Amino acid sequence: MKHLIWTGLFLISFTGISQNFNAGIRIQKTNGMYWENGISFQYSFKNLKTDQLYFGFDYVTTRWGSAMGSNALKQDNYLFSSSWAFRKEKSFRPIVRLNIGYLNVDFEEEIFESLPHSAFLLSPEFLVSYAFKNIPVSIHLGSGYYIDFAEEGHSPGTFQPLYYHLNIYYTLLKTKTNE
Amino acid sequence: MNKLTYLAILCISICMTSCGDPEDISKDLLDGNVIFDASIYQPEKFLVSAKYPNPTLSDLNKHILIAVHGYSATTFEWQEFQDYSDPNGPYRVSQVLLDGHGRTYSDFKDATWNDWSWAIKREYEKLEELGYTKISMVGSSTGGPLLLELVSSGYFNSHIPPKNIFLIDPIVVSSIKLQSIAGIVGPMLGYVKKEQEGDEKKYWYKFRPHETVNELNNLMKLIRKELESGFSLPQGTYLKCYHSKHDPTASSTSTVMIYKGLTTCSGQPIDVEIMDSEFHVFTRLALRKASTALDFANQEKAFSEMASKLSN
Repeated sequence: MKHLIWTGLFLISFTGISQNFNAGIRIQKTNGMYWENGISFQYSFKNLKTDQLYFGFDYVTTRWGSAMGSNALKQDNYLFSSSWAFRKEKSFRPIVRLNIGYLNVDFEEEIFESLPHSAFLLSPEFLVSYAFKNIPVSIHLGSGYYIDFAEEGHSPGTFQPLYYHLNIYYTLLKTKTNE
Repeated sequence: MNKLTYLAILCISICMTSCGDPEDISKDLLDGNVIFDASIYQPEKFLVSAKYPNPTLSDLNKHILIAVHGYSATTFEWQEFQDYSDPNGPYRVSQVLLDGHGRTYSDFKDATWNDWSWAIKREYEKLEELGYTKISMVGSSTGGPLLLELVSSGYFNSHIPPKNIFLIDPIVVSSIKLQSIAGIVGPMLGYVKKEQEGDEKKYWYKFRPHETVNELNNLMKLIRKELESGFSLPQGTYLKCYHSKHDPTASSTSTVMIYKGLTTCSGQPIDVEIMDSEFHVFTRLALRKASTALDFANQEKAFSEMASKLSN
């Protein structure tokens, strides 16, 4: 939780220099595995392909998904991303995105300490987004594929490659540009 | 040509180039049309119920272990424990051949996971009918979720509960990442070809149809859901789960899921042990290329613990 608070403060500090800043929720389903939900932020910077090149951070966890009220394993994903949105200033936009990050699965018991419980995350994604005209809300629907660099048997079993997600963003900051 | 025509041609091409069944299944493969699995022709060599159709009191006093092999394997997977066990000892081993296995590629392809399970139920019920009261079970790999399904579905509510259940590298989630998208890429691939060495081709299918991989995925998904909800063992049943630390086929996370979702009848945790091994089904060392002293020690540990429980 402490990490999340620090991450939140770090992200808020960007609002001063960002051109566009969106914050929202992320609902994610891994194919054949868990629901993992969480939060998502993305920015585009002044003078750096504003509203086209975005940088973001996502945190999704089964704690707010499959593991709520069940025996599903508790796992946390931390993702940093950069994405390119086509069709600038349009409502409907295709987006390509690359994520890197870290997955940690909490096995809870000492007896499982020696088992593989974490993984480096790298995933390309394809998304489509729709921005509503009259309200500062946009919806992003996407699918990605995690590339597993570990040998078979050396990463957690809950780390599965194909996932789908829905992000709903509220635009906190948006400045018109003359670019 | 417009875009739609291109798209139609692309779709038709994908369908036409999609692989069907393999064409090079030779007769010396388990998958071939010549069925040579001994447990089909000589069940009395493998099944206790067939070997002792009229058991004496002394026979009925023995503890019977039903040994269940994994997906695409045969009774061979449990032959080493059969050989390890004393034929005149306090227990006997009954090696079941899962339905749909040990037969032709097309028989394998057509069987569902429910079909695989029938062989276990048949032997269990025959032993019960014959009057055995001490029955235990061991399942390796897919044998694990098949046994867990019997527990979670309430099968033992109407049958005598097993004394012990042992799970060796049970598969509830796979280490092979592509397996989870078999439903998407499977129809394009048709089947998966497994590299084999030496005599492995006689005891394991070389070609695994995508339909059977989907069946395995469905079984694992069902058990994961049951474990997420939680269920318990029948009264009086002991369970121990062993798992290789770096199992390349059945992720060791499977055993974590089983530990979290399954309890004894009184709500206590089940026994688990993580083995320092890179093998899938670490108890099967026969036909493996290189087994170390540690691998033999792991096998001996599991075998001796099982034998000890069966001797009580």
